[in-house]
Amino acid sequence: MTITPIIGIEAHIELKTKTKMFCGCDASHFHADPNTHTCPVCLGLPGALPVPNKTACEWCIKLGLALGCRVNHSSFFERKNYFYPDLPKGYQISQYLRPFTVDGILDLDGHKIRINRVHLEEDTGKSVHLGGDTLLDFNRSGVPLVEIVSEPDINSPEEAKKYLLKVQQVVRYLGISDADIEKGSMRCEPTINIKIEDGDQTFYTPLVEIKNVASLTGVMTAIQFEIDRQIAQFQEDKIVKNSTNKTTRGWDAEKQQTFLQREKEGSADYRYFPEPDIPPIEFTANDVEAVKSTLPEMPDQKIKRYINDFGLSDYDSNLICESIDSSEAFEYGISVFSTEKENIKKFANLYINGLKEHLNKENKEIEKEKINPEQVFKVIKMASGNVVSSSVAKNLIVQSYEFGVDVENYAKENNLIQVSDTIVIEEMAKKVITDNPKAVADYRKKPLSVGFLVGQLMKASKGSANPTLAKEILEKLLSQ
Amino acid sequence: MELNNLTITKIRQGLLDKKFTAVEVATNYLDRINKLDQEVRAFITVTPEIALEQAKLVDKKISEGKDIGRLAGSTVAVKDIFLTKGIQSTSGSRVLEGYIPQYSSTVFEKVMSEDAILIGKVNCDPFAFGVSTENSGYFSTHNPWDLSRIPGGSSGGSAAAVAATFSTFALGSDTGGSIRQPAAMCGVSGIKVTYGRTSRYGVTSMASSFDTMGSLSSTVEDLALITETMAGIDPHDATSSSESVPAYSQLLDKVSLKGLKIGLPKEYFSEALNPEIKQKVMEAAQLYQKHGATLVDISLPSTSLGIDVYYILVPSEISANMSRYDGLRFGPSVRESKDLISYYMENRGQFMEPEVKRRIIIGTYALSSGYYDAYYLKASKVRTVIKQEFQDVFQKVDVILAPVCPSTAWPLGQKVNDPLQMYLEDVFTVCINVAGLPSLAVPCGFDGQNLPLGYQLIGNYFTEDRLFSIGHQYQQLTDFHLQKPKLNNIK
Repeated sequence: MTITPIIGIEAHIELKTKTKMFCGCDASHFHADPNTHTCPVCLGLPGALPVPNKTACEWCIKLGLALGCRVNHSSFFERKNYFYPDLPKGYQISQYLRPFTVDGILDLDGHKIRINRVHLEEDTGKSVHLGGDTLLDFNRSGVPLVEIVSEPDINSPEEAKKYLLKVQQVVRYLGISDADIEKGSMRCEPTINIKIEDGDQTFYTPLVEIKNVASLTGVMTAIQFEIDRQIAQFQEDKIVKNSTNKTTRGWDAEKQQTFLQREKEGSADYRYFPEPDIPPIEFTANDVEAVKSTLPEMPDQKIKRYINDFGLSDYDSNLICESIDSSEAFEYGISVFSTEKENIKKFANLYINGLKEHLNKENKEIEKEKINPEQVFKVIKMASGNVVSSSVAKNLIVQSYEFGVDVENYAKENNLIQVSDTIVIEEMAKKVITDNPKAVADYRKKPLSVGFLVGQLMKASKGSANPTLAKEILEKLLSQ
Repeated sequence: MELNNLTITKIRQGLLDKKFTAVEVATNYLDRINKLDQEVRAFITVTPEIALEQAKLVDKKISEGKDIGRLAGSTVAVKDIFLTKGIQSTSGSRVLEGYIPQYSSTVFEKVMSEDAILIGKVNCDPFAFGVSTENSGYFSTHNPWDLSRIPGGSSGGSAAAVAATFSTFALGSDTGGSIRQPAAMCGVSGIKVTYGRTSRYGVTSMASSFDTMGSLSSTVEDLALITETMAGIDPHDATSSSESVPAYSQLLDKVSLKGLKIGLPKEYFSEALNPEIKQKVMEAAQLYQKHGATLVDISLPSTSLGIDVYYILVPSEISANMSRYDGLRFGPSVRESKDLISYYMENRGQFMEPEVKRRIIIGTYALSSGYYDAYYLKASKVRTVIKQEFQDVFQKVDVILAPVCPSTAWPLGQKVNDPLQMYLEDVFTVCINVAGLPSLAVPCGFDGQNLPLGYQLIGNYFTEDRLFSIGHQYQQLTDFHLQKPKLNNIK
């Protein structure tokens, strides 16, 4: 019996435009006082009319293009009708028959995930349940929301995670949203069923859409839970998918399980029809070209270039290109030696293991402006000429970044210049041997444990000792 | 001097010449409303304090030698679907009873910025759904020419207020004939503009792709002046047109009747038309002919489909436009409900008028999955055909002349139990809205019972200037528009 999970994902991304989708209200709503960013339009008051936000339309197209979609030259908004207190007009302005962009591809290390559509709509308000009461906050009502719908080409929770991270990366590269799942600016609703092949028979379990997943780990856990649940369920009832048995299940993060929310999703009728308050939207070939020309180099292209042109490893390239800020800072760092492959590789190492590690520890984002390419070049020359050790080199990169020091002066003033003088190192080695009798005893039993003593020596020299020499001398002294 | 029988231009000139003051004009109208509106019942809300305050401001401007607006001193009766900041705006429905809007509609603000004086808010069918004003959630308005009869609708309050000279002019809306039909039945002039010519912002939506905001007054000359101030693009309405607005009032002699090709569509002079109306409308056409125009027989074969298209597409849009009236954020609502769905049903069930419910149900049905293609989609396609037929006809003629409605005002209550019969009263007006064309209603006589009737001049898109010119020249040759109902004799 072969079991294949079939997963499609609907991802919603809140655009960070200044104003809302159909009115001039401030679109930011995180931690804003309730109902302060509202007007007749986003409150759905009588007589109010929507006027589309041009930037939001362009950004949606930008994202569609970045995901390899085709732009519909003639497009329109539609009304999706349903009643809910956080939907003030009683319909959501969305797209249905003619989304802005369709038919894209997202490449996950060779596995191509087809994108059905990338369309634009408006967010709803928020219902806050307090005791027995429900309070309504319309600050989020009308915030532009892009919906990215994948085909059911994803086959595991891990792949779902990779897909979402990739979408998030592309969105952040475009600078159109923070795409923060925890803060709700990126939301995902996976739809799952299982393909079960048993001998020459194939079964598909009923579709289940999962809602309310508020973290990336949550998405993975929820999908795994649902895979296991559906397999068990099928074994019990043998019910297969049909056009009316799609259900919606919520994710309970506390109990770590999904629960039934709505049955017979297939029968929901939103009565879509073209939004008569907004004329159809036309994009000429020129309009599309103009948007295309504003696309930055996307992560996949960038990584490819780093591998081919710089000779960096796939792993390093991915790390550097994690965000557009990171890759831009890197490229700025190598700007004075941008054709020297070997030096670029050296900087990649200093950048990843020195600067980025430092920033991760401090929980800070990289700031391109704080990188000084001249100083970077000096550090690389010093390290290449064994003037400083590689660990000192990492430190120098950080010092230059954080405090703008001149790395040569700094290294001299702090005695960081690498000591390759065997007599000096021998002196230090003798002291380390005397101070660490236990480690010496260990060494006698396990010669591989010399690393600890080398470490002690490096520490004593404040990292300035040539580590290769230090090891050789220690071993020589200990073998005597 | 009779201050309630003056045109906008004459009022403005009279103020400048210091013949009378704006306060005198306003007081005169207010007195008349006070005395006679209990019979006509045009107003839901009369605004005497606001009117007098605004009139004083106009007088102050004049005494200080400041410029005054183009509508200075004229009073306006505003259909209650137009939001007026701080003043109850009910849309003629109990759903919005006591609703005080936080903002005003764009066109209302434009009119007020020209120093017009708000005299009150007038009755209409709820959310403009109706042809007789009998669907109003408050009361029926009576036709000033015969108080036992309807004033037409849905802008029945607007038409009655102008006919009874309770106000210099009135604002109305036309989605399927709601300005032209009551104008004809009350013997006043009314303009339905090209779709997109005036902003819809701040007017409760009926059918968004049909709604147009216009005006009613005694003369076409007034309408030209009002439209000049109302029209133009509005950043708050994405469907408003950027087409420039001509100075209509300066172009009243623009069109020469000599050689003017007037089309008479045979479908509008069919059996359904009351013979008396047919005769009077033909007399109007012949008057044009006498002054050099050519009458051309034309055909608009899809006319009979207009009603079908209209009563599918309009309720469809209505069904969604009415969803916001859920009792949650504004308007009256029930106190206790056992759950959310009951809350919705009780609010909408209790406060919505029967005609509102009827149209929501029709529209919801037409948009439902499985019926969408057969109704909404099909009707949208026929809409395109109707538009094209008009375009073809405008290759041959300059303007189309047709009756406004098949009958004159009928007795109140006669058709209230027959909604389908009511829908058919729109037969000569709806196609113009389906196509989005402009049309001007002009009074052209009376039937045997002394009930007014009118014709309409239908033009191509954005040719309001031509319609005003042609209509104005007719009024220079006739005096039907100057005749007033003898309301003073009632008591």
